[in-house]
Amino acid sequence: MSSTARSTALLLDGRRDDEPTLALVHGAVVEALAADGWDVDDWHLRDETIAWCVGCFGCWVKTPGVCVQPDAGRRVAERMACSDLLVYLTPVTFGGYSAELKKALDHLIPVLLPDLKKTGDDTRHPLRYERARDLLVVGTVPAGEKDGAEAHTFRRLVARNALNVRPRRWAAGVVEDGAAEPEVRVAVGGLLSRIGVGPAHPSLSVSMEVPA
Amino acid sequence: MRTPDSALLLVGSPKPGASSSASLGAYLQERLAARRVATDTIVLAKALRTEEATAALLAAVGAADLVVLSFPLYVDSLPAPVTRALELIADSWAPGAAPAPAAGAGAQVPHAPERPGLLAICQCGFPEAEHDLVALEICAHFARAAGFEWAGGLAMGGGGLIDGRPLGARGGLLRSVTRALDLSAAELAEGRPVPAEAVGLMSKPAFPAFAYRFVANRGWRAELKKRGAATPLDARPFA
Repeated sequence: MSSTARSTALLLDGRRDDEPTLALVHGAVVEALAADGWDVDDWHLRDETIAWCVGCFGCWVKTPGVCVQPDAGRRVAERMACSDLLVYLTPVTFGGYSAELKKALDHLIPVLLPDLKKTGDDTRHPLRYERARDLLVVGTVPAGEKDGAEAHTFRRLVARNALNVRPRRWAAGVVEDGAAEPEVRVAVGGLLSRIGVGPAHPSLSVSMEVPA
Repeated sequence: MRTPDSALLLVGSPKPGASSSASLGAYLQERLAARRVATDTIVLAKALRTEEATAALLAAVGAADLVVLSFPLYVDSLPAPVTRALELIADSWAPGAAPAPAAGAGAQVPHAPERPGLLAICQCGFPEAEHDLVALEICAHFARAAGFEWAGGLAMGGGGLIDGRPLGARGGLLRSVTRALDLSAAELAEGRPVPAEAVGLMSKPAFPAFAYRFVANRGWRAELKKRGAATPLDARPFA
Protein backbone atom coordinates (compact mmCIF):
# COMPACT_ATOMS: atom_id res chain seq x y z
CA MET A 1 0.00 0.00 0.00
CA SER A 2 1.34 3.37 -0.91
CA SER A 3 -0.31 5.21 1.98
CA THR A 4 -0.53 4.65 5.73
CA ALA A 5 -1.74 1.12 6.57
CA ARG A 6 -5.54 0.70 6.54
CA SER A 7 -6.31 4.23 5.62
CA THR A 8 -9.96 5.08 5.04
CA ALA A 9 -11.43 6.46 1.87
CA LEU A 10 -14.82 8.15 1.95
CA LEU A 11 -16.48 7.56 -1.40
CA LEU A 12 -19.48 9.77 -2.15
CA ASP A 13 -21.29 8.42 -5.20
CA GLY A 14 -23.57 11.06 -6.68
CA ARG A 15 -25.23 9.02 -9.42
CA ARG A 16 -28.75 10.20 -10.20
CA ASP A 17 -29.81 6.89 -11.73
CA ASP A 18 -28.08 3.88 -13.25
CA GLU A 19 -25.55 5.87 -15.32
CA PRO A 20 -23.51 2.92 -16.57
CA THR A 21 -20.27 4.79 -17.21
CA LEU A 22 -20.22 6.22 -13.72
CA ALA A 23 -21.01 2.73 -12.43
CA LEU A 24 -17.85 1.55 -14.19
CA VAL A 25 -15.89 4.38 -12.64
CA HIS A 26 -17.27 3.46 -9.23
CA GLY A 27 -16.29 -0.18 -9.69
CA ALA A 28 -12.80 0.72 -10.85
CA VAL A 29 -12.23 3.10 -7.92
CA VAL A 30 -13.45 0.62 -5.32
CA GLU A 31 -11.40 -2.19 -6.82
CA ALA A 32 -8.22 -0.12 -7.06
CA LEU A 33 -8.52 1.18 -3.53
CA ALA A 34 -9.22 -2.29 -2.11
CA ALA A 35 -6.24 -3.70 -3.99
CA ASP A 36 -4.12 -0.98 -2.44
CA GLY A 37 -5.27 -1.87 1.05
CA TRP A 38 -7.77 0.88 1.72
CA ASP A 39 -10.96 0.60 3.70
CA VAL A 40 -13.63 2.10 1.48
CA ASP A 41 -16.59 3.79 3.13
CA ASP A 42 -18.91 3.63 0.10
CA TRP A 43 -21.97 5.92 0.09
CA HIS A 44 -24.63 5.57 -2.59
CA LEU A 45 -26.12 8.93 -1.92
CA ARG A 46 -29.37 8.50 -3.83
CA ASP A 47 -30.29 5.83 -1.24
CA GLU A 48 -29.56 8.13 1.69
CA THR A 49 -31.93 10.52 3.36
CA ILE A 50 -29.97 13.70 3.87
CA ALA A 51 -31.88 16.88 4.57
CA TRP A 52 -30.91 19.99 2.63
CA CYS A 53 -28.47 22.10 4.60
CA VAL A 54 -30.66 25.10 5.47
CA GLY A 55 -27.78 27.42 6.33
CA CYS A 56 -28.90 27.84 9.94
CA PHE A 57 -25.27 27.76 11.13
CA GLY A 58 -26.36 25.71 14.13
CA CYS A 59 -23.31 23.53 13.45
CA TRP A 60 -21.18 26.60 14.17
CA VAL A 61 -22.93 28.40 17.02
CA LYS A 62 -25.38 25.97 18.63
CA THR A 63 -23.68 22.56 18.55
CA PRO A 64 -20.23 23.44 17.16
CA GLY A 65 -19.02 20.78 14.75
CA VAL A 66 -22.30 18.83 14.60
CA CYS A 67 -25.23 19.43 12.26
CA VAL A 68 -28.44 20.03 14.19
CA GLN A 69 -30.33 17.68 11.86
CA PRO A 70 -29.93 14.08 13.11
CA ASP A 71 -29.77 12.29 9.78
CA ALA A 72 -27.12 10.81 7.49
CA GLY A 73 -25.78 14.29 6.75
CA ARG A 74 -24.34 14.35 10.25
CA ARG A 75 -22.53 11.05 9.59
CA VAL A 76 -21.18 12.34 6.28
CA ALA A 77 -19.53 15.22 8.12
CA GLU A 78 -18.11 12.80 10.69
CA ARG A 79 -16.66 10.61 7.93
CA MET A 80 -15.23 13.64 6.18
CA ALA A 81 -13.44 14.57 9.38
CA CYS A 82 -11.97 11.10 9.87
CA SER A 83 -11.07 10.03 6.32
CA ASP A 84 -7.67 10.05 4.65
CA LEU A 85 -9.06 10.26 1.13
CA LEU A 86 -12.24 11.89 -0.16
CA VAL A 87 -13.60 10.56 -3.45
CA TYR A 88 -16.50 12.29 -5.22
CA LEU A 89 -18.21 10.69 -8.21
CA THR A 90 -20.80 12.60 -10.21
CA PRO A 91 -22.35 13.14 -13.57
CA VAL A 92 -21.08 16.58 -14.54
CA THR A 93 -24.24 18.63 -14.22
CA PHE A 94 -24.06 21.99 -16.01
CA GLY A 95 -20.38 22.00 -15.07
CA GLY A 96 -21.07 21.21 -11.44
CA TYR A 97 -22.02 18.31 -9.23
CA SER A 98 -25.29 16.38 -9.26
CA ALA A 99 -27.84 17.31 -6.61
CA GLU A 100 -27.32 13.85 -5.08
CA LEU A 101 -23.64 14.59 -4.46
CA LYS A 102 -24.26 18.18 -3.50
CA LYS A 103 -26.78 17.28 -0.77
CA ALA A 104 -23.86 15.56 1.01
CA LEU A 105 -21.17 18.12 0.20
CA ASP A 106 -23.31 20.93 1.62
CA HIS A 107 -22.74 19.21 4.96
CA LEU A 108 -19.06 20.11 4.77
CA ILE A 109 -19.88 23.22 6.80
CA PRO A 110 -19.51 21.64 10.28
CA VAL A 111 -16.07 20.35 9.25
CA LEU A 112 -15.00 23.97 8.86
CA LEU A 113 -14.69 26.69 11.47
CA PRO A 114 -16.86 29.78 11.16
CA ASP A 115 -13.92 32.19 11.28
CA LEU A 116 -13.03 34.10 8.16
CA LYS A 117 -9.33 34.02 7.45
CA LYS A 118 -7.33 35.46 4.60
CA THR A 119 -5.91 32.50 2.69
CA GLY A 120 -3.89 33.33 -0.39
CA ASP A 121 -5.76 35.94 -2.39
CA ASP A 122 -9.11 35.55 -0.75
CA THR A 123 -10.98 34.65 2.39
CA ARG A 124 -11.64 31.09 3.52
CA HIS A 125 -12.81 29.18 6.57
CA PRO A 126 -10.11 27.30 8.53
CA LEU A 127 -10.48 23.54 8.83
CA ARG A 128 -11.95 22.26 12.09
CA TYR A 129 -9.79 19.12 11.80
CA GLU A 130 -6.22 19.35 10.60
CA ARG A 131 -5.64 16.01 8.90
CA ALA A 132 -3.48 15.00 5.97
CA ARG A 133 -6.00 13.89 3.36
CA ASP A 134 -6.21 13.63 -0.40
CA LEU A 135 -9.05 14.40 -2.79
CA LEU A 136 -10.14 12.66 -5.98
CA VAL A 137 -13.10 13.83 -8.06
CA VAL A 138 -14.31 12.03 -11.17
CA GLY A 139 -17.18 13.17 -13.36
CA THR A 140 -18.83 11.86 -16.48
CA VAL A 141 -19.63 14.02 -19.49
CA PRO A 142 -21.41 13.27 -22.77
CA ALA A 143 -19.29 11.66 -25.50
CA GLY A 144 -17.04 14.21 -27.18
CA GLU A 145 -17.28 16.69 -24.30
CA LYS A 146 -14.21 15.88 -22.20
CA ASP A 147 -12.56 19.13 -23.25
CA GLY A 148 -15.79 21.11 -23.44
CA ALA A 149 -16.89 24.17 -21.51
CA GLU A 150 -18.71 22.23 -18.82
CA ALA A 151 -15.72 19.98 -18.19
CA HIS A 152 -13.63 23.14 -17.84
CA THR A 153 -16.04 24.60 -15.28
CA PHE A 154 -16.05 21.27 -13.45
CA ARG A 155 -12.27 21.36 -13.04
CA ARG A 156 -12.46 24.96 -11.82
CA LEU A 157 -15.07 23.92 -9.27
CA VAL A 158 -12.91 21.07 -7.96
CA ALA A 159 -9.96 23.44 -7.72
CA ARG A 160 -12.10 25.79 -5.61
CA ASN A 161 -13.21 22.88 -3.42
CA ALA A 162 -9.58 21.89 -2.93
CA LEU A 163 -8.99 25.31 -1.42
CA ASN A 164 -11.64 24.42 1.17
CA VAL A 165 -10.53 20.89 1.96
CA ARG A 166 -6.82 21.73 1.59
CA PRO A 167 -5.72 18.22 0.62
CA ARG A 168 -2.08 17.17 0.38
CA ARG A 169 -2.76 16.04 -3.17
CA TRP A 170 -5.80 16.17 -5.37
CA ALA A 171 -6.80 15.17 -8.86
CA ALA A 172 -9.91 15.68 -10.94
CA GLY A 173 -10.87 14.16 -14.25
CA VAL A 174 -13.78 13.48 -16.53
CA VAL A 175 -14.67 10.33 -18.40
CA GLU A 176 -16.93 10.37 -21.43
CA ASP A 177 -20.21 8.48 -21.36
CA GLY A 178 -19.93 5.24 -23.24
CA ALA A 179 -16.26 4.71 -22.46
CA ALA A 180 -15.36 1.03 -22.40
CA GLU A 181 -14.39 -0.63 -19.15
CA PRO A 182 -10.66 -0.96 -19.95
CA GLU A 183 -10.52 2.74 -20.80
CA VAL A 184 -12.30 3.63 -17.57
CA ARG A 185 -9.90 1.48 -15.57
CA VAL A 186 -6.89 3.17 -17.12
CA ALA A 187 -8.42 6.60 -16.49
CA VAL A 188 -9.22 5.87 -12.87
CA GLY A 189 -5.82 4.26 -12.32
CA GLY A 190 -4.15 7.34 -13.74
CA LEU A 191 -6.05 9.69 -11.49
CA LEU A 192 -5.40 7.56 -8.42
CA SER A 193 -1.70 7.39 -9.21
CA ARG A 194 -1.63 11.20 -9.15
CA ILE A 195 -2.61 11.10 -5.50
CA GLY A 196 -0.26 8.27 -4.63
CA VAL A 197 -2.61 5.29 -4.89
CA GLY A 198 -1.56 2.26 -6.90
CA PRO A 199 0.99 2.07 -9.73
CA ALA A 200 1.79 5.01 -11.95
CA HIS A 201 0.03 5.20 -15.33
CA PRO A 202 2.12 7.25 -17.73
CA SER A 203 -0.40 7.20 -20.60
CA LEU A 204 -3.90 8.46 -19.96
CA SER A 205 -7.00 8.96 -22.04
CA VAL A 206 -8.83 11.20 -19.61
CA SER A 207 -8.84 14.90 -19.24
CA MET A 208 -7.48 15.68 -15.81
CA GLU A 209 -6.36 18.43 -13.56
CA VAL A 210 -3.76 18.24 -10.84
CA PRO A 211 -2.49 21.03 -8.61
CA ALA A 212 0.59 22.91 -9.69
CA MET B 1 -34.23 37.42 -25.28
CA ARG B 2 -37.87 38.39 -25.42
CA THR B 3 -39.07 41.64 -23.87
CA PRO B 4 -40.62 40.37 -20.66
CA ASP B 5 -44.26 40.74 -19.69
CA SER B 6 -43.59 38.48 -16.74
CA ALA B 7 -40.68 37.73 -14.44
CA LEU B 8 -40.46 34.74 -12.12
CA LEU B 9 -38.16 34.94 -9.11
CA LEU B 10 -36.77 31.60 -7.97
CA VAL B 11 -35.43 31.92 -4.43
CA GLY B 12 -32.62 29.42 -3.97
CA SER B 13 -31.99 29.81 -0.28
CA PRO B 14 -32.93 26.62 1.57
CA LYS B 15 -33.66 28.68 4.72
CA PRO B 16 -37.26 28.35 5.86
CA GLY B 17 -37.68 32.04 6.70
CA ALA B 18 -36.32 35.31 5.42
CA SER B 19 -33.17 35.11 3.35
CA SER B 20 -30.70 37.45 1.68
CA SER B 21 -31.39 35.71 -1.64
CA ALA B 22 -35.07 36.60 -1.29
CA SER B 23 -34.18 40.18 -0.33
CA LEU B 24 -32.05 40.68 -3.44
CA GLY B 25 -34.63 39.08 -5.70
CA ALA B 26 -37.52 41.00 -4.19
CA TYR B 27 -35.76 44.31 -4.74
CA LEU B 28 -35.22 43.50 -8.41
CA GLN B 29 -38.80 42.29 -8.78
CA GLU B 30 -40.08 45.57 -7.35
CA ARG B 31 -38.06 47.49 -9.93
CA LEU B 32 -39.34 45.27 -12.73
CA ALA B 33 -42.93 45.67 -11.49
CA ALA B 34 -42.46 49.42 -11.63
CA ARG B 35 -41.72 48.90 -15.33
CA ARG B 36 -44.98 47.00 -15.79
CA VAL B 37 -43.52 43.54 -15.70
CA ALA B 38 -45.81 41.09 -13.86
CA THR B 39 -43.85 39.36 -11.12
CA ASP B 40 -44.17 36.14 -9.19
CA THR B 41 -41.95 34.31 -6.68
CA ILE B 42 -41.30 30.64 -5.92
CA VAL B 43 -39.08 29.35 -3.13
CA LEU B 44 -37.32 26.32 -4.61
CA ALA B 45 -36.91 24.33 -1.39
CA LYS B 46 -40.69 24.52 -0.87
CA ALA B 47 -41.43 23.70 -4.50
CA LEU B 48 -39.48 20.46 -4.21
CA ARG B 49 -41.47 19.16 -1.25
CA THR B 50 -44.43 17.74 -3.17
CA GLU B 51 -45.09 16.57 -6.72
CA GLU B 52 -47.85 19.15 -7.07
CA ALA B 53 -45.59 22.00 -6.03
CA THR B 54 -42.85 20.76 -8.36
CA ALA B 55 -45.31 20.57 -11.27
CA ALA B 56 -46.40 24.12 -10.47
CA LEU B 57 -42.76 25.22 -10.49
CA LEU B 58 -42.14 23.68 -13.92
CA ALA B 59 -45.32 25.23 -15.31
CA ALA B 60 -44.42 28.65 -13.91
CA VAL B 61 -40.91 28.47 -15.37
CA GLY B 62 -42.41 27.46 -18.70
CA ALA B 63 -44.74 30.44 -18.69
CA ALA B 64 -42.28 33.14 -17.62
CA ASP B 65 -40.56 35.54 -20.01
CA LEU B 66 -37.74 36.16 -17.56
CA VAL B 67 -36.53 33.90 -14.77
CA VAL B 68 -34.44 35.39 -11.96
CA LEU B 69 -32.54 32.84 -9.90
CA SER B 70 -31.24 34.25 -6.63
CA PHE B 71 -29.24 31.95 -4.37
CA PRO B 72 -26.50 31.80 -1.73
CA LEU B 73 -23.14 30.21 -2.47
CA TYR B 74 -22.86 26.80 -0.82
CA VAL B 75 -19.42 25.17 -0.87
CA ASP B 76 -18.32 27.00 -4.02
CA SER B 77 -21.46 26.27 -6.02
CA LEU B 78 -25.24 26.13 -5.91
CA PRO B 79 -27.11 24.71 -2.92
CA ALA B 80 -28.34 21.14 -3.47
CA PRO B 81 -32.03 22.03 -3.84
CA VAL B 82 -31.19 24.62 -6.50
CA THR B 83 -29.19 22.04 -8.42
CA ARG B 84 -32.10 19.61 -8.07
CA ALA B 85 -34.53 22.20 -9.42
CA LEU B 86 -32.28 22.94 -12.37
CA GLU B 87 -31.98 19.22 -13.14
CA LEU B 88 -35.77 18.92 -13.16
CA ILE B 89 -36.27 22.01 -15.30
CA ALA B 90 -33.69 20.85 -17.85
CA ASP B 91 -35.20 17.36 -17.90
CA SER B 92 -38.72 18.58 -18.47
CA TRP B 93 -38.24 21.68 -20.50
CA ALA B 94 -35.48 22.14 -23.03
CA PRO B 95 -36.99 23.77 -26.12
CA GLY B 96 -34.63 23.29 -29.01
CA ALA B 97 -31.60 23.39 -26.77
CA ALA B 98 -28.46 21.33 -26.77
CA PRO B 99 -29.16 18.38 -24.47
CA ALA B 100 -28.25 18.94 -20.87
CA PRO B 101 -25.53 16.60 -19.58
CA ALA B 102 -27.86 14.89 -17.16
CA ALA B 103 -31.05 15.33 -19.19
CA GLY B 104 -33.49 12.51 -19.47
CA ALA B 105 -36.89 12.10 -21.03
CA GLY B 106 -39.49 14.10 -19.16
CA ALA B 107 -42.92 15.58 -19.69
CA GLN B 108 -42.77 18.59 -21.97
CA VAL B 109 -44.15 21.70 -20.34
CA PRO B 110 -45.88 24.07 -22.79
CA HIS B 111 -43.81 27.15 -23.52
CA ALA B 112 -43.77 30.16 -25.78
CA PRO B 113 -41.64 29.90 -28.92
CA GLU B 114 -39.27 32.78 -28.10
CA ARG B 115 -36.52 32.06 -25.65
CA PRO B 116 -37.02 33.39 -22.13
CA GLY B 117 -34.19 35.04 -20.28
CA LEU B 118 -32.33 33.78 -17.23
CA LEU B 119 -30.58 36.07 -14.78
CA ALA B 120 -28.63 34.56 -11.87
CA ILE B 121 -27.77 36.42 -8.68
CA CYS B 122 -25.31 34.76 -6.32
CA GLN B 123 -24.22 36.12 -2.95
CA CYS B 124 -21.72 34.65 -0.53
CA GLY B 125 -20.66 35.23 3.06
CA PHE B 126 -17.07 35.96 2.07
CA PRO B 127 -16.08 39.57 1.42
CA GLU B 128 -14.93 38.77 -2.12
CA ALA B 129 -17.53 38.35 -4.84
CA GLU B 130 -15.06 36.29 -6.90
CA HIS B 131 -16.08 33.21 -4.92
CA ASP B 132 -19.40 33.26 -6.82
CA LEU B 133 -18.01 33.11 -10.33
CA VAL B 134 -17.91 29.34 -10.79
CA ALA B 135 -21.49 29.08 -9.53
CA LEU B 136 -22.59 31.69 -12.05
CA GLU B 137 -20.72 29.81 -14.77
CA ILE B 138 -22.76 26.74 -13.84
CA CYS B 139 -25.94 28.80 -14.19
CA ALA B 140 -24.85 29.94 -17.66
CA HIS B 141 -24.32 26.32 -18.70
CA PHE B 142 -27.77 25.48 -17.37
CA ALA B 143 -29.26 28.34 -19.38
CA ARG B 144 -27.79 26.99 -22.58
CA ALA B 145 -28.77 23.40 -21.80
CA ALA B 146 -32.36 24.29 -20.92
CA GLY B 147 -32.93 26.75 -23.76
CA PHE B 148 -32.81 30.06 -21.92
CA GLU B 149 -31.15 33.19 -23.17
CA TRP B 150 -28.41 34.02 -20.68
CA ALA B 151 -29.21 37.47 -19.32
CA GLY B 152 -26.11 37.56 -17.13
CA GLY B 153 -24.86 36.84 -13.66
CA LEU B 154 -24.52 39.19 -10.68
CA ALA B 155 -21.98 38.23 -8.03
CA MET B 156 -22.06 39.75 -4.56
CA GLY B 157 -19.65 39.29 -1.66
CA GLY B 158 -20.45 40.21 1.92
CA GLY B 159 -23.93 38.72 1.81
CA GLY B 160 -24.00 38.82 5.59
CA LEU B 161 -24.62 42.53 5.34
CA ILE B 162 -28.14 41.87 4.07
CA ASP B 163 -28.97 39.32 6.78
CA GLY B 164 -32.35 38.54 5.27
CA ARG B 165 -33.65 42.08 5.55
CA PRO B 166 -35.11 44.25 2.78
CA LEU B 167 -32.30 46.06 0.97
CA GLY B 168 -33.90 49.42 1.67
CA ALA B 169 -33.60 48.76 5.41
CA ARG B 170 -29.81 48.70 5.18
CA GLY B 171 -29.45 52.38 4.38
CA GLY B 172 -26.47 53.40 2.28
CA LEU B 173 -24.49 50.28 3.12
CA LEU B 174 -25.79 48.50 0.04
CA ARG B 175 -25.85 51.50 -2.27
CA SER B 176 -23.78 49.79 -4.95
CA VAL B 177 -25.98 46.70 -4.83
CA THR B 178 -29.24 48.60 -5.19
CA ARG B 179 -27.76 50.69 -7.99
CA ALA B 180 -26.66 47.49 -9.76
CA LEU B 181 -30.17 46.07 -9.47
CA ASP B 182 -31.74 49.35 -10.65
CA LEU B 183 -29.56 49.31 -13.76
CA SER B 184 -30.25 45.63 -14.33
CA ALA B 185 -34.03 46.08 -14.07
CA ALA B 186 -33.95 48.88 -16.64
CA GLU B 187 -32.16 46.69 -19.18
CA LEU B 188 -33.99 43.46 -18.44
CA ALA B 189 -37.36 45.17 -18.83
CA GLU B 190 -36.32 46.03 -22.39
CA GLY B 191 -35.26 42.47 -23.14
CA ARG B 192 -31.55 43.15 -22.83
CA PRO B 193 -28.95 41.44 -20.58
CA VAL B 194 -27.58 43.08 -17.46
CA PRO B 195 -24.99 45.74 -18.29
CA ALA B 196 -21.31 45.48 -17.36
CA GLU B 197 -21.69 48.47 -15.06
CA ALA B 198 -24.23 46.56 -12.98
CA VAL B 199 -21.94 43.53 -12.78
CA GLY B 200 -19.13 45.76 -11.50
CA LEU B 201 -21.28 47.58 -8.97
CA MET B 202 -22.75 44.37 -7.61
CA SER B 203 -19.35 42.93 -6.83
CA LYS B 204 -17.97 46.13 -5.32
CA PRO B 205 -17.15 45.56 -1.61
CA ALA B 206 -19.10 47.72 0.83
CA PHE B 207 -15.98 48.04 2.94
CA PRO B 208 -12.48 46.50 3.13
CA ALA B 209 -12.18 42.73 3.44
CA PHE B 210 -10.12 42.89 6.64
CA ALA B 211 -12.84 44.93 8.34
CA TYR B 212 -15.54 42.54 7.15
CA ARG B 213 -13.58 39.57 8.52
CA PHE B 214 -13.04 41.30 11.86
CA VAL B 215 -16.71 42.12 12.32
CA ALA B 216 -17.85 38.67 11.14
CA ASN B 217 -15.46 36.82 13.46
CA ARG B 218 -16.64 38.83 16.45
CA GLY B 219 -20.19 38.15 15.39
CA TRP B 220 -19.77 34.36 15.49
CA ARG B 221 -18.47 34.49 19.05
CA ALA B 222 -21.26 36.80 20.15
CA GLU B 223 -23.82 34.46 18.59
CA LEU B 224 -22.30 31.44 20.35
CA LYS B 225 -22.53 33.26 23.67
CA LYS B 226 -26.08 34.39 22.99
CA ARG B 227 -27.22 30.85 22.25
CA GLY B 228 -25.49 29.52 25.36
CA ALA B 229 -23.70 26.72 23.54
CA ALA B 230 -21.92 24.41 25.95
CA THR B 231 -19.00 23.73 23.62
CA PRO B 232 -16.41 26.12 22.24
CA LEU B 233 -16.58 27.43 18.68
CA ASP B 234 -13.58 25.31 17.67
CA ALA B 235 -14.78 22.05 19.26
CA ARG B 236 -13.69 18.86 17.48
CA PRO B 237 -16.38 16.31 18.34
CA PHE B 238 -15.12 13.76 15.80
CA ALA B 239 -11.41 14.01 16.56
